Amino acid sequence: MSAQHLVETRELATNFYTFEGVVRALNNVSLVVDQGETYGIVGESGCGKSVTVRSMMRIVQAPGRIDGGKIVMFLNAEDKAKGIEILGRTEAYMASIRGKDISMIFQEPGAALNPVLSVHQQIAESYEFHRMDEMLEKSIATLEAHAKELGGGPAGWWNGLRKSLLRRELGAHKNYSARIQTIDNELYKLEDSTDAASLGRKRELNHERDKPVRRDFLVEFARRVPFFARYRRPLNRTVEAQVIDLLRSLGIPNPENIAQRYPHELSGGMQQRIVIAIALACHPTLLIADEPTSNLDVTIQAQIVDLIRDLKKTAISSVVFITHDLGLVAEMCDRVTVMYAGDVAETATVKELFRNPLHPYAQGLLDAVPKEIQEGELTIIPGAVPNLIRPPSGCRFHPRCSHKMAICEKEKPPTLELGPGHFVACHLYTKDQSK
Amino acid sequence: MNLYSFIVRRLLFMILVLVGVSLLVFTVMMILPPGQRLAAYVTSEKVTPEQMDALIAKYGLNDPAPVQYIRWLGNVLRGEFGYSVTASAPVITAFGLYFPTTLELVLYATPLIILVGVALGTLGAVRKDSVADHATRVFAIVGYSLPTFWLGLLLLMIFYGFLGIFPPGTLSNSASDVVMSSHFHHYTRLITIDAILNWRWDVFLDALYHMFLPALNLVIINSAMIMRLMRSSMLESLGQDYMMTARAKGADEKTLYKRHARRNALLPVITVSGLTLAGLMGGMVITETIFDRTGIGWWMARAATQLDVAAIMFNVLFLGTIYVMINLIVDVIYAYVDPRVRLS
Amino acid sequence: METTNTEQPVAKAVSPRFQELTFTAKRLFKNPLSTIGLAIIAFFLIIAIFAPVICPPKYADPFKIPHSGWKIEPQPPNAQHLLGTTQQQYDMLYGMVWGTRGAFKIGLIVVGANLIIGILLGAIAGYFGGIVDEVIMRVTDVFYAIPFLVMAMALVVAIGRGLTAVIIVLIILEWPSYTRVLRSDILVIRNKEYIMAARASGSSHFAIILRHVLPNAMYSVLILASLNIGTTILTAAALSFLGLGSETGTADWGQIVSMCRNWIIGAPGNRFAYWYTVFIPGFVITLFVLGWNLLGDAVRDVFDPKLRRK
Repeated sequence: MSAQHLVETRELATNFYTFEGVVRALNNVSLVVDQGETYGIVGESGCGKSVTVRSMMRIVQAPGRIDGGKIVMFLNAEDKAKGIEILGRTEAYMASIRGKDISMIFQEPGAALNPVLSVHQQIAESYEFHRMDEMLEKSIATLEAHAKELGGGPAGWWNGLRKSLLRRELGAHKNYSARIQTIDNELYKLEDSTDAASLGRKRELNHERDKPVRRDFLVEFARRVPFFARYRRPLNRTVEAQVIDLLRSLGIPNPENIAQRYPHELSGGMQQRIVIAIALACHPTLLIADEPTSNLDVTIQAQIVDLIRDLKKTAISSVVFITHDLGLVAEMCDRVTVMYAGDVAETATVKELFRNPLHPYAQGLLDAVPKEIQEGELTIIPGAVPNLIRPPSGCRFHPRCSHKMAICEKEKPPTLELGPGHFVACHLYTKDQSK
Repeated sequence: MNLYSFIVRRLLFMILVLVGVSLLVFTVMMILPPGQRLAAYVTSEKVTPEQMDALIAKYGLNDPAPVQYIRWLGNVLRGEFGYSVTASAPVITAFGLYFPTTLELVLYATPLIILVGVALGTLGAVRKDSVADHATRVFAIVGYSLPTFWLGLLLLMIFYGFLGIFPPGTLSNSASDVVMSSHFHHYTRLITIDAILNWRWDVFLDALYHMFLPALNLVIINSAMIMRLMRSSMLESLGQDYMMTARAKGADEKTLYKRHARRNALLPVITVSGLTLAGLMGGMVITETIFDRTGIGWWMARAATQLDVAAIMFNVLFLGTIYVMINLIVDVIYAYVDPRVRLS
Repeated sequence: METTNTEQPVAKAVSPRFQELTFTAKRLFKNPLSTIGLAIIAFFLIIAIFAPVICPPKYADPFKIPHSGWKIEPQPPNAQHLLGTTQQQYDMLYGMVWGTRGAFKIGLIVVGANLIIGILLGAIAGYFGGIVDEVIMRVTDVFYAIPFLVMAMALVVAIGRGLTAVIIVLIILEWPSYTRVLRSDILVIRNKEYIMAARASGSSHFAIILRHVLPNAMYSVLILASLNIGTTILTAAALSFLGLGSETGTADWGQIVSMCRNWIIGAPGNRFAYWYTVFIPGFVITLFVLGWNLLGDAVRDVFDPKLRRK
């Protein structure tokens, strides 16, 4: 497979600084998500799947911290072939790609929605952050269409005032976008340079990048004065229409009503659709789904999975799908990575993994799944995921491994490519190679 | 459930609690011998020992307790609270005289307390474990360990005793003359507001000048609680999943803190702010005594040492009613702000 | 399928309760604030225990402060009076030292009595529920509805002034908070599986409450108690300050602060002339309360399941 890479993590290490000690949640995780594929990450709970994807978006919550490694994104692959290393970029840069180029949906839709904001407010934010120019242009266009009907008089005058205020806002936004674009372009050129001069320039640019939109004084004033603040109503209406269209496109019945509701008034399945709507608002290139169905009823699970699969066909190009349900992996994914205790154990295409699992942990996981044609008991992997404050030495799986050898306790196994696109990190195969 | 029926339900509950409060006050009063309880019934000044027995009989102070309670409650509902010895006036007249002073200080101090508490608490949470965070935490824990009366005395000693500024009292003599004069109209009885309405900025500033230290005293002691609450509640909401959702859709720091975290974090603060406001009324006893402001707290303190039963019982009843009402208002605000409450 | 437990299975030999306790203790001592709090309380405890040695009493009632003469002005610290004297020449050191005993007495008696009453009523209300619960809770509502200090003043006036009255009043007024906290904890515990199991196996109500419910619900009440000692002392001092506590000349901190009220202005030519008489007693109260608050805070952070692992 010579597909174009989309996201690549190299030796990613994320730690959590808790009171009891440092939880080494990710132990140098390297994986590659290609463009256009559905990529699965499986493993037991607590083995670092969620931390991996949260690290990818740099939204690891305190006390967690990304301490090492690289994350390279190839977001617009045509002109950005060498990718952007996002750990070196500023928080403002991250904010500008989150939700726009990469989105995420979460395990618990109930907790993922803000309880005091309405559905509309929460979805509208996505447009506010990333599509402001477009929204403003649309609103101005509507006002212009209106202007002919209104003619002169106070109504026409008010219409004109609104238009000019919105234009000013649009101007400020466009200036900002243009400035950001130049900065990002220059930063991209400097991406690989490590000499002192370009490092200094990068620091300068990053600092410049963090400066917020320069607000227009008149606009700010109008927004704060009670009556004048109404000039934004056409904008609000535009965004509202957008939100409702989005909800409708996700197959949500009666979107006008749902938009006005608060999260606690909705069922779990509906909440998860709203979370998906938030993630999809700006048509991201990559959607990360972090166990999106594990807290839902079985029937709802099926609906959500179908929805994501449909969206994969129509709206989003790539999906990273996290789950501990191997059945779902077989159903959804093209390629899959098995993680264990913060390590990547095995990566392969789904077919290959199911037919020929190489890592003992992957074998164990597959043996634990009921199959159609099987005799006897299901096997289980003895023990539990270890405490990652004091992780096992060497290969982290060795205390539970049935093929344990002396070397497993001492050295972390290297990752080897044993077949085309089939990577394994296990000492069983290091030995084979050295023979 | 909609907001309207929520309010009705809370109102009914409030009436129940108020009946309880009146029972409690009455029980406390019944501990006293009839001769002392008499003050809560009479309306005139001196009662001679000869008259006393006749009056006790007249007001039925030896009747069975339930009968007395009903009679007393009737008086209370008619606004008859007896005669205050300390104020040398009927309780209700004295109240009209003292209450505006208290209300004025509360009205100025409460927003300051909430503002300081919320601002410092937010700062501490957003910059967790920074120097600013530790400093505000130390301020908070010292703040609520300080005895109100001692802090007040210290402030007076430093500012008034040593620096000679911010004297105790409500107004300086000259300003007080203006207020007492016949061309000063008392529209609201709140001095600062009346001063503006009378266009006497000198009086307005003088009133503020005298209010500074008591307000500072109240802010230091009371904002500590709000600050701690705001900090922990902000930290909690910063750790919630929805904060991650907000970041994942590209929210900048400002939006994250202001729209997503603070709104949720403020919910418990609303409740505690209401309680603080209500508690302030009670805490006035000490602040007003120390800063020599003639409000109901000052009155209460004097009444307690001089066994002015009528005044004490009235104040307990009044402050209890205020407390219950503020709680009701807080509940309604809460239900308005947090859509989840209305449902349960 | 979900195995969220990340504890290592190695430590199985030690009982989980003991493990938690050692963790708690470790955590408590690792926090500098709680260590300071403990040190302050230990310091006061030593003073209270050795009060007769530090300041041998002169009268039959050790809480009466000896005083040398009736001179009005307070005296600065000197060889005879290490912390100076108050107005009317009461020895400040004596007042502070024996006042410590008084403070411990008030704090421990009030909180102890409240623990008993609160636990009793809270357990009854929470465990049995229904009409009993309703009545007890409505009564606490009423107590909650009146500002604490004001109600305390009224009660002290009704039953007569003095230290004993203050203690009784504080007991009467503080129990509702304990009852409420314990009740809400018990409501949660009541529906846990192990209570159901105990009930199904035929244990009596009393045995269930004693053996299963209370041990699990005690933490939050104990946290409340440690936090409440500070406020109890503050309220008692405030009542004394207002002249509702002990008589003049008693070793009682609030009373001594009230004696210094007249000396905040200083003398002509020396505006800070009497600062010590204002500063010392209030500072001692603050330190004492601070000690309890620091400890209570730390205990709360450590026991609160939401905060303890952070």
